[in-house]
Amino acid sequence: MTTTMPPVDQPRRTRRGSVIGNTGIYIAVGIAALLFLLPFYLIVRNSLMQDPEITGENWKWFPTHIQWSNVTEPFHDVTVDFGRSMINSAVVGVLMTVGTLLVCSLAGYGLARIPYRHANKVFYLVLATLMVPTAVTFVPSFVLVSSLGWVDTYRGLIIPGLFSGFTCFLFRQYFLGFPKELEEAARVDGLGYWGAYWRIVVPNSLNFFAAMATITFISGWNAFLWPLVIGQDPSAWTVQVALSSYMTNQTVNYHLIFMATAISILPLVFVFLFLQRWLVQGIAQTGIKG
Amino acid sequence: MSTTTTRGIARPAPAKGSQARPRRGLRGNPTFNFWLFTGPFLIGLVIFVFVPIGWSIWLSFFDARFTVTPSNFIGFDNYKTVLTDPNFTGSLVTFTVFAAFIVPTTWALSLSLALLVHRLRFMRAFFRSVFFLPTACSYVAASLIWKMSLFNGVRFGLANTVIGWFGADQVAWLANPSPPWYWLVIVTLRLWLQAGFYMILFLAALQNIPSELYEAASIDGAKPGWQTFRYITLPQLRATSTAVILLLLVAAYQAFDEFFNLMGKATWGQPPLVILYKTAIGVNQDYGQGSAGAVILTLLICVVTLFQGKIMGFGRGEESK
Amino acid sequence: MSAMSNSNFSRRSIFRAAAGMAAAGTLAACGSNNGRGGGSGSGKQLVQYFHAYGEAGVEQAVKRYAKAYTKANVSTQWITGSNFENKLFPALLTKQAPDVFEFHPQIQLIKSGQVADLTDIIDPVKDDFNPADIKSHTVDGKIYGIRMIDDPQFFFYRKSMLEKANVPVPTTLDELIEAAAKLTTSKVKGLFLGNDLTPIQSNLIWSAGADTLNEKNEIAYHTDAVVAGLKQLRSLFTSGNLLLDAPADWWDPSALDQGLCAIQWGGLWGMPTMQKALGDDLGIFPFPKVGSNGKPSVTNGGWSMFVNAKGDNVEAAKEYVKWLWIDQKQYQEDFATSYGFHIPPRTSIAQQATKLKSGLPAEGVKLSNNYGHFDNIGWTQAMITALNDVIANCVRKNQSPEAALDACDKKVNRELKKLFG
Repeated sequence: MTTTMPPVDQPRRTRRGSVIGNTGIYIAVGIAALLFLLPFYLIVRNSLMQDPEITGENWKWFPTHIQWSNVTEPFHDVTVDFGRSMINSAVVGVLMTVGTLLVCSLAGYGLARIPYRHANKVFYLVLATLMVPTAVTFVPSFVLVSSLGWVDTYRGLIIPGLFSGFTCFLFRQYFLGFPKELEEAARVDGLGYWGAYWRIVVPNSLNFFAAMATITFISGWNAFLWPLVIGQDPSAWTVQVALSSYMTNQTVNYHLIFMATAISILPLVFVFLFLQRWLVQGIAQTGIKG
Repeated sequence: MSTTTTRGIARPAPAKGSQARPRRGLRGNPTFNFWLFTGPFLIGLVIFVFVPIGWSIWLSFFDARFTVTPSNFIGFDNYKTVLTDPNFTGSLVTFTVFAAFIVPTTWALSLSLALLVHRLRFMRAFFRSVFFLPTACSYVAASLIWKMSLFNGVRFGLANTVIGWFGADQVAWLANPSPPWYWLVIVTLRLWLQAGFYMILFLAALQNIPSELYEAASIDGAKPGWQTFRYITLPQLRATSTAVILLLLVAAYQAFDEFFNLMGKATWGQPPLVILYKTAIGVNQDYGQGSAGAVILTLLICVVTLFQGKIMGFGRGEESK
Repeated sequence: MSAMSNSNFSRRSIFRAAAGMAAAGTLAACGSNNGRGGGSGSGKQLVQYFHAYGEAGVEQAVKRYAKAYTKANVSTQWITGSNFENKLFPALLTKQAPDVFEFHPQIQLIKSGQVADLTDIIDPVKDDFNPADIKSHTVDGKIYGIRMIDDPQFFFYRKSMLEKANVPVPTTLDELIEAAAKLTTSKVKGLFLGNDLTPIQSNLIWSAGADTLNEKNEIAYHTDAVVAGLKQLRSLFTSGNLLLDAPADWWDPSALDQGLCAIQWGGLWGMPTMQKALGDDLGIFPFPKVGSNGKPSVTNGGWSMFVNAKGDNVEAAKEYVKWLWIDQKQYQEDFATSYGFHIPPRTSIAQQATKLKSGLPAEGVKLSNNYGHFDNIGWTQAMITALNDVIANCVRKNQSPEAALDACDKKVNRELKKLFG
């Protein structure tokens, strides 16, 4: 991946100073990077070891014999259908991302750009939802969703999560900064709000959409409490629920737990490596940067 | 953090309408379009957010144990119980300590990482990815690594292994509250998970600082390093900093997963959401009391947010209308 | 015109997205095969909730029993460890609630009308049950749940380690603390009481000659001997001889198996695994007496079957429960002794259970008979939580036991008042 941001010209320095300074920076960044990678190292180490080696008296940095057979073990587990849970998480993550982006971007645009007398009041109502802790409205939500018959369904996992006040808020902030001239030109051309939105605004905001998509997908993939309660049947479990079930099992199986963790993280690592550049560009354009 | 103030782009014209625009029937009607755009979101918001909130408020006035359709109205009893419960009041203290620590620390770490990465000339994408990667981990996964491999209390935990090289005894990182090592565990976990994301926000902002500013400063004799940082970089990052601090506060306030997974049956290190969760959803099943706690908490957070907004200038864009 | 076609296009795409989502949802509903809602097929649909037993094969066994039942189609939800209550209780509030679920006898379930009266199906075989197991499920003469298994909990120890350190089997709390000190080395801790020490909270009370509640459902744990015991426990906690923050908690035999500690609090269920890992290097003893007037104690925990009184299929559920947990004795024995070890609460089955007749398992049964304390149906979760706080505050943190117990009294009394007036 090429660098997406041209480095800002640094203040001029003497040559020697810059060499020393640069070395210093690389040492600092290198140490920080090692610390940040340490937990990943632990996942890989533990997932490829045998249990007695993990729990032994003396610390070993690397497995004496790499246990490649551990890789497939989560998929052969009889108690947890790990493969199914990965598929569920992927479906939930993708549909949730599409749905959230659609619903919240429209609302964000409406709140930011369409002149309506009570728009601000509506906006404050949306803002207010950000302050309410989810832990307790959780139970009424669950009862509500289950009375719709959505327990153990993708609908139940996805739809209640689409209406994120936070995402809507971010979209509004972004659209506030969207160049007005573009839309006005479009509307002079005879496009209504709707047409201008889809023809002009969205195509010119793809970076931001990509950024929001990344964030939404991550939170969808990593969500735990809601999927735990909604996914009652193991066939509707997401990968986080499956993972937590390994952790609370009565007999701890270290290499299995860590292998499952590694596999559960892998898809997001790929999503990241591919979408990261858009994420940075997208955020550079948001309201967040101010 | 309104973009409009810094960029000088016109703010959305509110109520006055835009009579000058060509419009054909409904397509150009602002009111119709407003509801067309926001309608789906608002309907969902009402059903999946406002109804449960209203339901919770209603529950808070009832003796609602093992039921969410109670009939025994008890007025403010639940509120009294919650406010006199040392676990709940203690949780507010815990939250304050936690926020007072995690917010500045994450802010400083993510800003430092951003400044460092920003100055790299090669391998920048690599290091950026390394710092950003933990964002891909869930709290479930991170708690698992921290609890089982990094900070477990036995000889095969990495932390205990490392301190063992220096002759120190095994430490019970989480079980023993004195000294409060559990904060180290929780704070490092959250830093690891969060710092990369905020680093990206800062990186994006650093990228937007016009380089002329640095050139001008250098001509004026400002020394690179601390002076430039203090008088140019930091002020230019003000809006981002404000936003980051707000986001961090909200995140700290919603803190749940790592405490829930790591702290077990402790009476310390329990933030409000964990307490409320245990009251309402755990085996106690007291939805009335849990809801009362949630209402109190919501009111508190509203006050704090408004206050914070006032002093830090968040939402200025809206107020100045 | 371009505007129209464009907006048409986007509207269509929205519809398509929405339809796609709905379809996916339906797909999941069909695919999940959870045995609910169908109804039109032959026989009733029943759902049962089990917490995940850690031993290999239990889940398959439970599903096998359910499959053998012909009068209803029973599906099983196997819910892992600490998530059990978090899923069970919210689910009970809804239409998708389980018809049959396992839990511990607690009076608030009865007071809130959550569980059905099972007197008519238990009464004919009442005399075959351990009287304590009947008593712990009885309120006002009615029996509300069927005990499936009794799970005695006591100390397991490595004989070799105690011999090597020349430590006798402790008979008092003081001796236990001393033993922990002698057994601790740089790699092995002397004693494991669970990561938060709460598993032995009731034993501390019983072994000090007190009880959680008395016959009249009043507080009985607040005695001088208990206060003294809490102080001893505090000294043990700060001694550095306790295993803490073990990756697997007390219910898992790993700590002892992996040689992380010399003595571990555990359950009879873990005995087969321990014997496999350690062979003869394994002994057991009850929680020793606390203070001079104390008596050793063993927790007789366990799991019971309840029928959801608010469900749609109460009668069918009762019939199923009767079939499996009253009539099918070979399944009951299989469940109790083929995987982890549990004591069958029915005398006729316990007498046949050959695996519990000899060696260490027999010793465990003997400890349970001699020193066992069964569930008290009036001692509810809110009270247990209040006592958890006492352990946290005055053993792990340095609060005075008196103050901690006073705070506990307040909570327990409020709960008692709610339940018994």
